[in-house]
Amino acid sequence: MSTTERIWEVFRQEDEGDPMVHAGNVNAPDEELAMHYAREFYGRRGESHRLWIVPRDAVTELDDPDLLKPPFDRSHKKPGGYIIKHKLEAAKQRAAGEAGE
Amino acid sequence: MTELDATTREALAELLLAVADDEFVIGFWDSEWTGIAPMLEEDVATSSIAQDEIGHARALYELLAEVTDDDADRIAYGRDPEAYRHAALLNHRRGDWAFSVARRYLYETADAVRLEALARSSHERLAQLTGKMRREETYHLLHAEAWLRRLADGPADVRERLADAIRRLWADAQQLFAPLDGEGVLVTAGILPQPMATLHAAWTARVRAAVEPIAGKLPDAAPSADGRTTRTDDFRWLHGEFTMVAGGVEAATW
Repeated sequence: MSTTERIWEVFRQEDEGDPMVHAGNVNAPDEELAMHYAREFYGRRGESHRLWIVPRDAVTELDDPDLLKPPFDRSHKKPGGYIIKHKLEAAKQRAAGEAGE
Repeated sequence: MTELDATTREALAELLLAVADDEFVIGFWDSEWTGIAPMLEEDVATSSIAQDEIGHARALYELLAEVTDDDADRIAYGRDPEAYRHAALLNHRRGDWAFSVARRYLYETADAVRLEALARSSHERLAQLTGKMRREETYHLLHAEAWLRRLADGPADVRERLADAIRRLWADAQQLFAPLDGEGVLVTAGILPQPMATLHAAWTARVRAAVEPIAGKLPDAAPSADGRTTRTDDFRWLHGEFTMVAGGVEAATW
């Protein structure tokens, strides 16, 4: 009997079609018991339609700040980073002026 | 369903009481692990399964109360220890983890055979209820099997504890199929689709194949007439525990 416990990440889906959402994790020595424990922790009250049980070491983690939070201004990559409201207004005024001539 | 005659009703009550008491008592024994199971996750799983068993007992006691015009709480908590009708397998105290795993495995396999039959009962309510119970018991059996394999594949001392528990419980496990006084009536009416002896043979064949590789050759053993009537000090202690609150304040509601 292996007494080495592994951590299993559990994702749950509330209803068919809903996104799988991270629910939490369980310790279990093997996949079979991980399934039982995930069911007890995240499904025993009938709150889940489906569970995914993934060994944590199968998860590729990325948390390097150089890759995720680089030092330069990223505002131009956000949807709100490029403000066009005042340009639109100016364009509208221009168009109205041209029509009035 | 048509009204049952007095003899059939009495026989049905005997059957319901036997199954209900089995579920009730194993539920209380296994709940003795709450807080001290081998790991937190297992603690939650064992406690939840124990709760499921008590839930099944409750549903069976309620059906029994309808059949006998009684009260489910009174049946569950208002009897002397000697009036309980669980099988001798459930007379033993919790023991160590290997002992509890061995007992759960022997119990769940027998319960699966019994429920498979009762789900085909001509008694509609009983068939519906046991059909529902089977859906939960499937998971209980998977859980018990997972632990049996785990301990069987473990280090020598773990395996030996498990083997020893199986040998100690073997004779008493047979009593889950102890004959009932009213069995003939139940089989004729189709309420119990097969006699206990037939169910016992099906269970034995399946379980021997699984446990003899662990525990060695087990003796021939058969259910006996007193398989559900012999009580022990272990059970009398448990009875004191589970009737403590109900007995403390007569007819309390909460």
